[in-house]
Amino acid sequence: MNTIKITINDTVYDIAINTTILEACKEVGIEVLTICHLEGVSNVGACRLCLVEVEGINKLLPACTTKVAANMVIRTQTEKIKKYQRITTELFFAERNHVCSVCVANGKCELQKLGYKVGMDHIRYPYLFPSCEVDTSHAWFVLDHNRCIMCTRCVRTCAEIEGAFNWDVMNRGNQVRIISDFNTPWGQSTTCTSCGKCLHACPTGAIWPKAIVQGQLEKKPEILKELVEKRKMNL
Amino acid sequence: MPKKKIATVWLGGCSGCHMSLLDIDERILDVAQLADIVKCPIVDGKELPEVDITLVEGSVTSDEHLREILHIRAQSKTVIAMGDCAVTSNITGMRNYFNLKEVFDTAYVNAISNDTEGKVPNHIALLKLHEKVVPLQEVITVDFVIPGCPPNADTIFYVLYEFLNDRIPNLSEAKKLKYG
Repeated sequence: MNTIKITINDTVYDIAINTTILEACKEVGIEVLTICHLEGVSNVGACRLCLVEVEGINKLLPACTTKVAANMVIRTQTEKIKKYQRITTELFFAERNHVCSVCVANGKCELQKLGYKVGMDHIRYPYLFPSCEVDTSHAWFVLDHNRCIMCTRCVRTCAEIEGAFNWDVMNRGNQVRIISDFNTPWGQSTTCTSCGKCLHACPTGAIWPKAIVQGQLEKKPEILKELVEKRKMNL
Repeated sequence: MPKKKIATVWLGGCSGCHMSLLDIDERILDVAQLADIVKCPIVDGKELPEVDITLVEGSVTSDEHLREILHIRAQSKTVIAMGDCAVTSNITGMRNYFNLKEVFDTAYVNAISNDTEGKVPNHIALLKLHEKVVPLQEVITVDFVIPGCPPNADTIFYVLYEFLNDRIPNLSEAKKLKYG
């Protein structure tokens, strides 16, 4: 296997070519914060949490979509990165309704855990309170746009693993929304197979089954990776 | 060291944070050795005296809360926002998605429990709700925050005890941070 030498946080490692910085960090046991990254689907670099410093480049690069190059010098834990991670997390919370105490995902939410990890004790930005809908038209599942952080993990899971292409994204800025088919109620979807994979892909309480109540949501995003790997074995 | 003075105040919240404060149980004796609790929601309605530490529960929802929090700030050396409502506006702030008339109509005019024609109460003694609910830091300088809905009693005690001993608490350790 062709390997190259890269430096992460002052230690030199041999890493296979064509590896992303995020994969390299995982391989050598360095934790990088992520939320839009999901094992088993492609990376889009949407959340900007995995930003790292690369020597010689004066902007921060997303670790999940940047490939390693020979003699790259990477830093993942600088004060600048920590500052941006905290800002990013606060902006997630400031946009839509992220009131943990009334959420089905309370205690099991990746966004909530992220807040603890970056040490967020309060939010320095004004809340936007955008008007968001709750789509309860599906027989078993609910999509609550208020809790969506636009990581697009559901979109990629639906397209790449289930192959149904039910989910997509419309608009820009704070008008951006996840849509079912051509922005029609989820219950009327002609593409949705009701497989429920998007539920497990969702890091927050935005997609959840109707049969549960506050704080009872159990998500298993790891099953998606497992599924992808089992399919490869069958080939 | 002279005894410090503590006050606790209940603005736009559910009093759950005060319940959590009471859950410090017998540790209230440790607090009482270092400080006198001079004001809390169950004492009479005298104005807040000058105090060292005020724990404020709830967000600013009305003219009365605004006047109160400005007075609290002027009278207190340290203001601690206690609980998610004070820190982020939390559930109290969820009415910000609607305009005030919709909120009143839902509660009083169109409420399912109305047996006669409902109308919005409008008495001079009632507080005037603001159009939007805001957390404390949008109107005053807050010295410390304890997030949580409600915060754990252990966390409240830890923060209070550190301040009473003139130390600055550190909530950045993940186990002490909690929302919801």
